[in-house]
Amino acid sequence: MTITDLWDQKISAFQLSPSQFLATTTSESFLAELLHELRNDKANDHLKILLVSVLLDHPTILCPSSSVGEETALELLSVFSHTPQKSIILKCNVMLAITNVIICTSCLANHTKMAEDWLDLLFQMIQDTNDYRCGLSQQPIRATACDCLREMETCSPGLLSQKLEALYLLKQQETTVLHQSYCMLYTLGLKNAIRILTTQKDVTDLEFKSILGGNEGFAWKSNQLGLTLLPINMMVQVPRLPPGLDCKELKSIMSSLLEESYLQTPISQSALLRELVEVVAMVPGLSPTLFKSQLLRLFGTADVSLMHATLFMKDTFTDSLFTAEDENFLLKRLVGTAQHPLLRIPEKLFYMECILHFPENRPISSSGEESLPVLVTPRLAASLHPTVFNDSATMLCRLNLLCLVHLEADEGEADKGIRYLFEHIMALLKIIDNDGSREVVVTSFRALFIFLMHFNGMENLSEKVIDKLCDMYSRHSRLAPNLIGLANRIQEHLDDPVWSVKLLIGLQKCIMEMPPLQLTIHNLSWHLKVLKRVAQEGQITQRNTIYLLLNILINSNLCERGNWQVGNAVLAVCRNLLEHPSIDQVFIELADLLQYISVHYDDTDIKDHARFYYTLLTNLSWEKLAGVLVKGLDGGRAKERSHSAIMAENEGIASNLTVHKTNRHVLQLIKVQEEASQRSSGSSELLETTGEAKNWLEVYQGQFHTPGFGSDVNLRYNLTHAKDTDPLFDKVFTICLHFELKDSNYAKVNDIHVPCVFRDRKPPEVKVKLKPFQPYPTTLCVSAVFTTQDGRSWHSQLPDVSVSFPEIFLPLPLPPNTSCECKEQVFDRIWEAAASENPDKSAISLFCFKTGDESLADLIKAHFQGYLITDQQSKILWKVLFFLPPMCHVLLKITQAEDAIQVSIATDNWELLPFVNSYLQNITDHCSTTVTDD
Amino acid sequence: MSIRALWVVSQEKGEPGKLGIFPETVLHATSCRMHTHGQDRPKPYVEVRDDYARQHRSPAVELRLDGPGGRTLWPLLTVTQGALILACLPLVEAPPEPRPPLPSLASVSQGLALLSGLQDFLCGPGGKPEPDVLASRLAALPSVLLQVCPLGRPLDTPPPAGSVPAAVAPSPGGAQKQPAWKAGVHRGRAVVSVALTEKVRSMQYGKSSVLPNVTVTLTLPPNGSPLQDILVHPCVTSLDASILTACSVDENDCSAFSGPYKFPFSPPLELFRLCSYTSQVPVPPILGSYQLKAEENHLKANVVLKLHESVKNSFEYCEAHIPFFNQNLMGSVEVKVSSGQLEVSKEKSLLVWVLGQKFPKSREAALEGTVHFSGTVAGPTDPLCTGLTAYIKLYFRVADLTLSGCCVDQHSVQVYSSAKPRIVTTRELVSSEYYIWNSTGDAPVSSGAVTASH
Repeated sequence: MTITDLWDQKISAFQLSPSQFLATTTSESFLAELLHELRNDKANDHLKILLVSVLLDHPTILCPSSSVGEETALELLSVFSHTPQKSIILKCNVMLAITNVIICTSCLANHTKMAEDWLDLLFQMIQDTNDYRCGLSQQPIRATACDCLREMETCSPGLLSQKLEALYLLKQQETTVLHQSYCMLYTLGLKNAIRILTTQKDVTDLEFKSILGGNEGFAWKSNQLGLTLLPINMMVQVPRLPPGLDCKELKSIMSSLLEESYLQTPISQSALLRELVEVVAMVPGLSPTLFKSQLLRLFGTADVSLMHATLFMKDTFTDSLFTAEDENFLLKRLVGTAQHPLLRIPEKLFYMECILHFPENRPISSSGEESLPVLVTPRLAASLHPTVFNDSATMLCRLNLLCLVHLEADEGEADKGIRYLFEHIMALLKIIDNDGSREVVVTSFRALFIFLMHFNGMENLSEKVIDKLCDMYSRHSRLAPNLIGLANRIQEHLDDPVWSVKLLIGLQKCIMEMPPLQLTIHNLSWHLKVLKRVAQEGQITQRNTIYLLLNILINSNLCERGNWQVGNAVLAVCRNLLEHPSIDQVFIELADLLQYISVHYDDTDIKDHARFYYTLLTNLSWEKLAGVLVKGLDGGRAKERSHSAIMAENEGIASNLTVHKTNRHVLQLIKVQEEASQRSSGSSELLETTGEAKNWLEVYQGQFHTPGFGSDVNLRYNLTHAKDTDPLFDKVFTICLHFELKDSNYAKVNDIHVPCVFRDRKPPEVKVKLKPFQPYPTTLCVSAVFTTQDGRSWHSQLPDVSVSFPEIFLPLPLPPNTSCECKEQVFDRIWEAAASENPDKSAISLFCFKTGDESLADLIKAHFQGYLITDQQSKILWKVLFFLPPMCHVLLKITQAEDAIQVSIATDNWELLPFVNSYLQNITDHCSTTVTDD
Repeated sequence: MSIRALWVVSQEKGEPGKLGIFPETVLHATSCRMHTHGQDRPKPYVEVRDDYARQHRSPAVELRLDGPGGRTLWPLLTVTQGALILACLPLVEAPPEPRPPLPSLASVSQGLALLSGLQDFLCGPGGKPEPDVLASRLAALPSVLLQVCPLGRPLDTPPPAGSVPAAVAPSPGGAQKQPAWKAGVHRGRAVVSVALTEKVRSMQYGKSSVLPNVTVTLTLPPNGSPLQDILVHPCVTSLDASILTACSVDENDCSAFSGPYKFPFSPPLELFRLCSYTSQVPVPPILGSYQLKAEENHLKANVVLKLHESVKNSFEYCEAHIPFFNQNLMGSVEVKVSSGQLEVSKEKSLLVWVLGQKFPKSREAALEGTVHFSGTVAGPTDPLCTGLTAYIKLYFRVADLTLSGCCVDQHSVQVYSSAKPRIVTTRELVSSEYYIWNSTGDAPVSSGAVTASH
């Protein structure tokens, strides 16, 4: 595998999930590797571009702080200056990456030296227009420099506000294709400069003029607006300069920009036009009629972004630029483009949205909601009628638009149009009749929903729809969930529930009239679903439902078959019937039904439920019954819920059977603070110490032949409540903690069971047993399933538990009573082995630091106490050994040298060195440190 | 006016390919992580997905994310081409609540234009590139994006695939500015080649109550009969107001303007669509009648095609496809044609009537016979074509002809240039969605369609 392939793999793994990738390494080391490879002269451009792309995509992950960002940018800058002239694409990529890092890590916002230098360099690049000596090949560098400056100006508005004259000259001089980049840069700078001027109280002619003639440094202080520069159509009030300023010069600049605008690519042109519109809106001395000369060209354009920019102009200037005739014309064009065969579907959908948000000169309402422009008549919109040949989004979009059109239309015309739309809906339903694929059904029902939302008031039509739906249901009972869904949605969205009720009555009738043959087991489950929904409607009489259920049970073998699901579905209908307000009218029938089930149904659970319902029905008044059945929302009333929990398919049983999810943290694991000396590897056995002159290393290593020896790290935590939890969770029981690892460096962690956690009691302690494959720091995702006092089960995530590097340290796994000499011998032997690079992953290294106020002895006592090998009070040399399961060692020799403290490090796994390093750095943080790596 | 992220997702592998994330644009907005959901086994009705009240009629979709808070990504613009899904997330430069209308966001149209360009770049004119071609184009994409969308800010659209870069000389750097959409000066022979293609769309249904509805779509004309809905390429420098006034949506369109349509422009280097128009033609070029009847266990078909007298009787190709849906596969076919040959497709579900280069002298061709469906294997299905609802689809191309009569006179092409270009003009008429429905079956559209649209 080549280096390129390796990087390819690495980078795609990173891109797929940065957090997962960084679990096995640190962002610093990955960044260091990246930068190292970038400096490698042998690596080809293609690979380097790939490397840079990581910094382009995830700068803040790799450079978490401003200082790291600055260092990285410096590194990249040196890569940039060492890249040969001919590697144009790489150079451009590096330029973008530097800009990206500087912006994203706030170097620009904080005005760091690096940002300043980079800005100067970029400006030099764009001023160096003398690239003919190198041929045109260097042009992309200048274009990229412009792009970078534009991005920096966007993120720090006003940065270029004192450079406008220079930029203007550069823009004027440039005749190659690059003039677009210069022009965009200049225009953005101009707009931002004016925008900043609008925040000043009094603006004199001189100040106003000085903008255009500015040729000074970068305006670092001008960033007073922060990043809140919204486009003006998003602002309540457009910021304006005071009237009466002399705009002659600005006007001529604007005219020349507009005249040359057609030389730009459509997308850039649309951006340019938007900037210019904002400028004109802010300067009262400029008239919107400046744009008049461009309008015709824009009206005819096939490009979506240019058309959109034209609508932005319309929105901003309304009748000061667009006459009523223009408006009419533009709208006609818009309707035409919304169905133009040349354009793509997303573009046409977008144009239809634009029609519904058309900025009219005289809007009736300006709520920002969809509304139909007055000028869109049924005649104009005729070509937008939906057909069955449209794709689903186009069809729904057209239907919605046409519904609005015909809702507004005059009577005669509207009738014709609505009839057409109605026939269209019928045609859609007919297609469902033939083909029930999910997309077809959902699209048709969505269309039906749109239609009903607009025309449910037209009774004859909405009744025809109900007839058709019932007719369809009689043939395709699988549509039951769709029909129930439709009834629910319509009921939610219309104030008047009549339509839904009528539909449900129709469906009930339809089921009653079905020949018994059609009531097969399969269909029956759909019918029962419908009847259950029907039973929720207080306005619908339920007698027929009960008769039907009784009839089916008596005249079929359902009771003998004793299918629990069917039985439960029948009981679900009964449960809703129990709650029905007119239950007294069908009291006897329902009692008969329940009694029949409780006697004949061949399933004990169903029988019991039926008997229970029967008891409730016959013993409680309706008010009490309703009270029992009402959903127990109040957490304190546990008793009531346990009653209703016995009901089939009601909220109660559902809530008792399902595990509820809470998104807030309920519990948390807090590390138990402990003395390092108390730690010990749980599994060390008593070793014979009587034997003389043994090779202690062999003895030591021999222990590892015992399976599982020294392989665990036990971490102790207190399981406590998280802050601010619901009082509901004050007492939780039967907690099961489940651990997920974020990486593959550890064996799976077993679940831990805890009987209870009470808020006001001492928190229980849990021991988490980790079994590392690789002793790297890790993070555990912890979740808990537990029960609250009211009997409900909950699932909740705990805050992630991070296991830091020192937490995996164990003392040398020798029996406690092993003599110091033995330990020291083992230590020395391991050290020798590591120093001679045997095994081959061994490495030695050196770490130096100066002690601050704290003496070295204190430091050692605080951090290495339990890991000391030498017990001598010599105070010259300390030997420290960290054992890391499964079988890694980190050995430290600490000596006090003249001016610093030296820590010699030896390890049999060099991959641990970065962690050791950052650990040492961490504990000696307040001392000044110098590091020498071997 | 920026794009926050761009994805190219292949539905075949199911793995999302992330192309570019532009974090600096995120400085304006809050960041989100994107997860893709595997396609579930289709269930008939799932409330979250199929909620009828949620409108699926916008070019922008909303993506719900996993994780706490249930955040959403919006507005996600998507384009689907074959198994490829292209998606981008434009920057919302507005307060997120209440959700601003799409047309108020500048980045949306730029995102749409970028996606269209990307689609052309990846898939080319054919629309279905070979896997290895696609892979190489995907590999070239990052460097293309560097040019057209650095730091997430769209500057241009990617060049369409297959557009061979013409021989380019660096522009002389004179006083005149070089258009940004033209990288240099054309080197080589100067040629002005004007090709005019009219695509004819037709829906025919042989019942007297329904009139045929013909729309003609085509590309490029500087003079001709009234042309509507003209859309022009951005390289056109100026337009006469009268050219744009005709509009198919405007029924009272009484503009008497019928050309000449002048389009002054400065050509970019690649082939481009100068303008497109639609035109209403009262009669279809080929009038057809299709009658399909069910008899016992077979279908009886009767087709008559009439070529309109204004249409030149010289085709590059002309075929009528007669598909049968929701039937078993075809068994014996006893069908006679008065002209051309009849072929039964390999799949046994389609008759192909090859009419060849010419209609007979009478300008009329007929097909008659019966088709048996004896097999037990089910053929293709179609939700619309059930029962006797069936259609014939015509495929033809006629050179040197336009239905609207629109044409380009070689001598009317004026070129102001030092080079003396050769001027070539061609015309052609191509069928596009040309359907003739069975008049004995139900029409798939309600008859109201015509009353409303005429």
